[in-house]
Amino acid sequence: MSSTAMKKKVLLMGKSGSGKTSMRSIIFANYIARDTRRLGATIDVEHSHVRFLGNLVLNLWDCGGQDTFMENYFTSQRDNIFRNVEVLIYVFDVESRELEKDMHYYQSCLEAILQNSPDAKVFCLVHKMDLVQEDQRDLIFKEREEDLRRLSRPLACTCFRTSIWDETLYKAWSSIVYQLIPNVQQLETNLRNFAQIIEADEVLLFERATFLVISHYQCKEQRDAHRFEKISNIIKQFKLSCSKLAASFQSMEVRNSNFAAFIDVFTSNTYVMVIMSDPSIPSAATLINIRNARKHFEKLERLDGPKHSLTMRMR
Amino acid sequence: MEEDSKPLLDSVRRESYTDRGSTDSLDRRRPFHVEHRNIVEDDPSERVSAEASVLSSRVHYYSRLTASSDRLLSPPDHVIPCPEEIYVYSPLGMAFKVTGGDGGSKKGIPPLSFAIWNTMMGTSILSIPWGIKQAGFTLGIILLISMGLLTLYCCLRVLKSPKSIPYVDTSDWEFPDVCKYYFGKFGQWSSLLFSMVSLIGAMVVYWVLMSNFLFNTGKFIYNYAHNVSMSDTEFGTNGSERVICPFPDTGDHGGNCSSGISALYLSSSNNNNYYYYGNDTSGTALFDRWWSKTNTIPFYLIILLLPLLNFRSASFFARFTFLGTISVVYLIILVTLKAIRLGFHLEFHWLDSTHFYVPEFRLLFPQLTGVLTLAFFIHNCIITLMKSNKHQENKVRDLSVAYLLVGLTYLYVGVLIFAAFPSPPLSKDCIEPNFLDNFPSSDVLVFVARTCLLFQMTTVYPLLGYLVRVQVMSQVFGKHYPSP
Repeated sequence: MSSTAMKKKVLLMGKSGSGKTSMRSIIFANYIARDTRRLGATIDVEHSHVRFLGNLVLNLWDCGGQDTFMENYFTSQRDNIFRNVEVLIYVFDVESRELEKDMHYYQSCLEAILQNSPDAKVFCLVHKMDLVQEDQRDLIFKEREEDLRRLSRPLACTCFRTSIWDETLYKAWSSIVYQLIPNVQQLETNLRNFAQIIEADEVLLFERATFLVISHYQCKEQRDAHRFEKISNIIKQFKLSCSKLAASFQSMEVRNSNFAAFIDVFTSNTYVMVIMSDPSIPSAATLINIRNARKHFEKLERLDGPKHSLTMRMR
Repeated sequence: MEEDSKPLLDSVRRESYTDRGSTDSLDRRRPFHVEHRNIVEDDPSERVSAEASVLSSRVHYYSRLTASSDRLLSPPDHVIPCPEEIYVYSPLGMAFKVTGGDGGSKKGIPPLSFAIWNTMMGTSILSIPWGIKQAGFTLGIILLISMGLLTLYCCLRVLKSPKSIPYVDTSDWEFPDVCKYYFGKFGQWSSLLFSMVSLIGAMVVYWVLMSNFLFNTGKFIYNYAHNVSMSDTEFGTNGSERVICPFPDTGDHGGNCSSGISALYLSSSNNNNYYYYGNDTSGTALFDRWWSKTNTIPFYLIILLLPLLNFRSASFFARFTFLGTISVVYLIILVTLKAIRLGFHLEFHWLDSTHFYVPEFRLLFPQLTGVLTLAFFIHNCIITLMKSNKHQENKVRDLSVAYLLVGLTYLYVGVLIFAAFPSPPLSKDCIEPNFLDNFPSSDVLVFVARTCLLFQMTTVYPLLGYLVRVQVMSQVFGKHYPSP
């Protein structure tokens, strides 16, 4: 009960103009509000109550808008901002000209995290990598990663290089979400068993709010390596259309003479997609299988649930 | 560490950062579209690379997240695959390669100019011949050109006005915001008031014209069905190309009425005094009572238009803008045909008026300038229309081309109708403020024009009503669609 009552934060921070709003809009399928671009010199704070992995709330902060103003705000509101943080995602703009200042703000955030939420996970995204020439991307990213690792001690930070124009953003956020799901290894083994029992070609597990693929099982090689991102994009577009009609998306079945695909709610944090290439298996059979599997997986989550909250209370 | 990374970053392709969050590089993005692949067939010939396919999926998704005029999430040129990898699929199933080269210098009319021409072309085109008649032929042409240049200059100033405001981000300001900045509350309310005046004026004109067209359409259908001929009752030319003069007796009725609208009503009130030769005289008298241009039709229009005005959003009607283009093109063709068939009748009397002709310079020219200010009016939405164009020189060029096209269209229609008006039997003074009124109801070509225009106005009227409603409701109630 306590884990649901306690809202933990995911902080998305970075310099203004580093791409946080676009990133959040793309990952969570929100419309970009015009007003956030007009705020100019004021601090851009967004509290979006996106139910992300159960009880996480995403907060978006601009760092380094105007120096003196930022310093004052940081010192006076620090505890408020940095308490109860589960995840810190810091976005660096790769083509920023003020590396010293960026690192300085990053370190201030880390200090505040150490004081208020020492068990938070830290991720650093080096963003807008598409603006760097291809042959130099690895080099630049490696340098940045070394610097960030060094600066982040004693906290451990995981670094990703991202760009909204290739698959790196999707993969980075999928990895982040993968590390945040409490019992993901167990989910994966059970998923494989489930897929083999129902004779599915492929089974995907999506995170509920963002439709990022966190785990998948496939029984043979598939042609398109980018299919996960494409499916996520298509479903998010459909969710946008549904929300225009004040409807919510729950499940979908796509069927033709060659395959049948089922997308449905699975556990409290996840959606499942099952692809069957044997058209002789009736839909009802697969749907019953999914329903029974759901009960099993929910039990798995509940088993881990109290244990999870217990360890959190003990910190 | 920092010195090592700086030279590497300097070789990066980039544009200067003007406003935060903007990754605009060039003002013209290369177009990019990928056909959906059939995922089930084993297609051996891979026409689309995997990167292009997934980029297309991303572009589709990102375009749903922002407004269409927002360039924040549109792909910069360097992520789009090079032209060699792009194929264009024709509906016949063939695919051919894009031949490369960007959409740099386009020959012909830029598409933005055409959009502006489409928006500006309104019902004023029907009044230009009358306006030229009121000012005199030569003076009319001179005024048309100079008013066009004057309104173009004003429009350019309106376009440049947000840029000259320092320290403020004016990227989504419209002209009333600029007025508010310079003149405070007075500026905001006065610009709203004048915008209302032009919108409501346009709605009144539309109502009058729609009554006119509906009346004539009904009359044509009735006369055709009941075989009624009206040729002996209206004063006009004889022969196959009939041109009528609804006001033969009031010689200089341009001096009596001061505005085009009252002239429209004056001409229409005459229509009730016709005598008919036909089979069913009592039936036609009854028809005339119930189908009268001034007494009943404006009320029938309420039944037609009131449901359309109550739509919450006007986006449905915005799809019919192509009707306007078709109507204007048809009018141009109609005018050309009539001019060819009627021939030119021009005589130049400089300052004295004769029975059939008007002087070249008349004192009534302010009526033409009045018509022209509304004919060339687009200042309230020009900033929004030209938002897609980033470079200032392109905006100036596109706007000038648009005004040139509009001016040429008006000039063509005005001069041809004025010159082709058959003056020996009829006086040039007979040209009506709506030049379609100079043709009898039985003229088929003109009947088609009236029907087209009626359809087009029925689709534009709810848009005008929506604009008025939005502006008034948001000022008075604070919401666009106040509901309990």
